[in-house]
Amino acid sequence: MNITVDVNKTDGNTIMKISGEIDAYTAPKLKETINQLTKEDGKNVVIDLTDVIYMDSTGLGVLVAAFKKIKTNGGSFILTGLSNRLQRLFTITGLSEIMDIKGESK
Amino acid sequence: MTRSFVNIINEWDIVAARQLCREFAKELGFGIVDQARITTAVSELARNIFLYANQGIIIVEKIEKDGSVGLIIIAEDHGPGIGNLAKAMEDGYSTSGGLGAGLPGVKRLMDDFSIDSEVGKGTVIKTAKWLR
Amino acid sequence: MDFQESLLWKYKDILTKYLAVQSEQTLYLTQKLSKEILENHIPPEEVINLHKSVLNELIPEVPSEVLVSFDILLEIMMSYGLAYLEHQSLRYKQMELEMELEFGANMQKMLLGSAIPKYDYLDIGAISIPAKIMNGDYFHFDIDSDQELKVAIADVIGKGIPAALCMSMIKYAVDSLSYSKHNSPEVVLERLNRIVEKNVDLGIFITMFYGSYNPKQHVIQYASAGHEPGFFYNKKENSFVDLQAKGLLLGIDPHVTYPKFEISLEIGDMIILLSDGVTETRTEDGFLEREMIIDLLNKYMHLSAQEIVNNIYRDLSKIQHYQIRDDFTMIIMRRLV
Repeated sequence: MNITVDVNKTDGNTIMKISGEIDAYTAPKLKETINQLTKEDGKNVVIDLTDVIYMDSTGLGVLVAAFKKIKTNGGSFILTGLSNRLQRLFTITGLSEIMDIKGESK
Repeated sequence: MTRSFVNIINEWDIVAARQLCREFAKELGFGIVDQARITTAVSELARNIFLYANQGIIIVEKIEKDGSVGLIIIAEDHGPGIGNLAKAMEDGYSTSGGLGAGLPGVKRLMDDFSIDSEVGKGTVIKTAKWLR
Repeated sequence: MDFQESLLWKYKDILTKYLAVQSEQTLYLTQKLSKEILENHIPPEEVINLHKSVLNELIPEVPSEVLVSFDILLEIMMSYGLAYLEHQSLRYKQMELEMELEFGANMQKMLLGSAIPKYDYLDIGAISIPAKIMNGDYFHFDIDSDQELKVAIADVIGKGIPAALCMSMIKYAVDSLSYSKHNSPEVVLERLNRIVEKNVDLGIFITMFYGSYNPKQHVIQYASAGHEPGFFYNKKENSFVDLQAKGLLLGIDPHVTYPKFEISLEIGDMIILLSDGVTETRTEDGFLEREMIIDLLNKYMHLSAQEIVNNIYRDLSKIQHYQIRDDFTMIIMRRLV
């Protein structure tokens, strides 16, 4: 059970590719990485979840916190690569209505 | 010989401090295991000075109280000081970085222990061991 | 004879025997002695010194090089001795923390405890089991001044102590909102949303289902704040459908509103509410599908509501080898008359 986060910065845009499982054990690591990104104002962040095998509600909490912070700082926040299971999680919680989720579900 | 000291400036001074305190303890009549304990404590204190304060001094002194004889080690520096003393005295804190026994270790090796530290001013640690 | 003395005596005896004959029996005696040494908190450097002096006593002609070599061993063992003492003290501290946590968990159980009410018109079963010591799920039943039955099920996103602390706050907010008959489900959620948004830190969010059951008309009105959808069981058609609902998690946007839904129950119909700890059950080949919960509901349909939730919990925790990963909460309400 592990997680890797690849961060790719190109002028003003940050693409974050998360691979592995996001649960109570790995969420702190993800939180730390995301916090560093959200410190700066006006960031455009794309989070790619294509290679996320599993995400529980702890992971959802981390993403929502990041979303709120980036929005407050006037940046944009985009999620891509959601599996059917993840898509369902965002629909149930009502988050898909306020978040920018790109791409058809796999 | 009731009081001696070693200035800690480079790593070799740690060895000198060990040597001085071991001899001092031996002369007072401490057994071989207690000599080793006192030396280990001195080693830790001198190493902390060398690593965090750059320089300082280790003093060893004979003490007497209510008919008992012992020695006191004073480690003094004018380094950055310790911000969170409670944390520094906590088990598993300083040792987690592989630094060794840390301050809790020194306290365990010796009988009495006190520490004063002020951020930006420096640290004074006094620790004693009594002959049984 | 104190332990130090008896240790010296025993050690000398063992070493004498072993120097004469290297028998397994003597080594076994040594192993037993080592346990006594540990029990009496004798540090390793002391043992090395003991060995050195006993050896010198037994073999006066032992070369001095051999004796001084023990100084090296003694120096090395110094650190092991300190590590051992530190381990002891950390273990003690851990025991203290565990005890404190257990007190906390018991207090939480007391604070959050909601009695499962009994009525002749409704058969109710409920279960809530924490994955760790503290529970981040919560359910609640209450009767308002109009005799309507209020039911809530909530899940704090996040686990452990922060989730549990947060839940205690929610409980008191729900309690005070539930009693008033003017508070219909969507109003309760809207008020709670503002309370959570104001009082809870970034990163903690709550999902909640809130319903109000009218025992005269047998209609349940409800609203959901991002909560895992429950099921409605229609006895006449023998079918399960998802409980339709829509709404954002609590604690994100203070201005959000929640639509109200309603459904009427015929005799034998059931409302099944659950937390995502139920649907996030991990099975041998991936994740539990909602169909599997329906299968289980069908399997235990003939039992009472409480027996159904108990059996489903038992079956699902068995699949996970009795190590559930998330707090598990399930409520069943079945119309009786």
